[in-house]
Amino acid sequence: MDAWKKEALIEAGIDVDDVLGRFMGNEALLSRFLKKFLDDANYGKLLQAITERDADAAVAASHTLKGVCGNLSMTGLYDLLTRQVAALRDGNWDAAAGLMPEISQAYETIVLAIQRSA
Amino acid sequence: MEAISAREEDLAARENMLIIDDDEINRGILDNIFSPFYRIEEAENGRIGLNRILEKPEEYSAVLLDVVMPEMDGMEVLRHLKEHALLEKIPVFLITAEANVATMQEAYQMGVMDVISKPVVPFVVQRRVNSVVELFRARKRLGNVVEKQQSELLIQAQKIIELNQGMLEALSAAIEFRDVESGEHVRRIHDITRHLLLHTELGEGLDEEEIEQIALASIMHDVGKIAIPDAILNKPGRLTAEEFEIMKTHTIQGAHLLERIPQLRENGAYHYAYDIARHHHERWDGRGYPDGLKGDEISIWAQVVSLADVYDALSSKRVYKDAFTREKVLEMIREGQCGVFSPRLLECFFSVEDQLADMYVS
Repeated sequence: MDAWKKEALIEAGIDVDDVLGRFMGNEALLSRFLKKFLDDANYGKLLQAITERDADAAVAASHTLKGVCGNLSMTGLYDLLTRQVAALRDGNWDAAAGLMPEISQAYETIVLAIQRSA
Repeated sequence: MEAISAREEDLAARENMLIIDDDEINRGILDNIFSPFYRIEEAENGRIGLNRILEKPEEYSAVLLDVVMPEMDGMEVLRHLKEHALLEKIPVFLITAEANVATMQEAYQMGVMDVISKPVVPFVVQRRVNSVVELFRARKRLGNVVEKQQSELLIQAQKIIELNQGMLEALSAAIEFRDVESGEHVRRIHDITRHLLLHTELGEGLDEEEIEQIALASIMHDVGKIAIPDAILNKPGRLTAEEFEIMKTHTIQGAHLLERIPQLRENGAYHYAYDIARHHHERWDGRGYPDGLKGDEISIWAQVVSLADVYDALSSKRVYKDAFTREKVLEMIREGQCGVFSPRLLECFFSVEDQLADMYVS
């Protein structure tokens, strides 16, 4: 992987060494799944569920997105989503919705970095 | 070239792994980790995965199973596999993001091999899965080897029994030949004795193994004739009183001969063989030889062989006589012209004589 690409991904909040380890050093496979992340529908679903105050839809989308972020070592976003899922399961809607701006910022940063390095 | 063919060989030896997970990235990661070791198949939910396993369970050497999935979740898949007793045959690993204690406990109780948390750490999941799969393979190999050895031992034991019987038959037939009788005689004595004990009340109190031993022992009833001089054994005319006394000793000589074969003495058939050789010329009325036993002093097996011997001698052609007709044979036995037998023995004999007579139809 080019050094500048790696740098950009790290800056956006992806632990590149960790995720490469999970993909057994298979960079092509990692690139493929990073691009797929751009098409993942769960972020859109989460936004919509928060807007509509649909707790069930929110927890489903947040949980699935958390899993994807974990696999791709998006550590910052993963931590935010872990907190959100916990809040939603506790029935603490305000706390969950309150995390949304931070989540959006982390998400947009990552999307931008992937688009640039692809 | 060599590298390629080695790799192909490796692929052929590999077995299948089924990855059941609704998330494509999860499947991709696990596929990438295990593709050097297995032929990978993927299923995107529990129902599809379960159906694949049920279709051809013997083809999978491992199943990686996610818990939270649409259609059918991982715990439901486990319940179905347990119902089909497949968890003992295929190692199943639960791969889960949120392993709470209750879920893990239920999974382990059902028979899951391991619970591994997501996101996975490649070398850990590789090591944990491959160790268990190797254990299952070793157990299967070992099971096959033990099974094979057991059946080989059984075949060998059977061969030894057949060899023993063959030797005894050969020895007895050799003696019968000397007596100018056919080797068929000993074979038929064996079969008649066996039939009477198996199919009439005469065999009461004897199990099947004992009956087989008695039938085997019956083959040796006349071994003592080996000690009788040719001049007496094959004399065309009537024996003198002295000659007959010598002829009668074949019973005691036979018993002594059998006594002197150490290998036979360890055999379950020995005490029957000894008793039959010595007492197959005793008579129900006590006027037989050599011991003059009377009634039930004579063992049931000696009585049965005694009757079988007479029946076969009368029914077969010998150098000094033709075969008697069946009616004549039965008449002679019924009227006691060739020995005196117990009424119960005769009754049992006549009740199955139809089947015995079939042996003489050629």
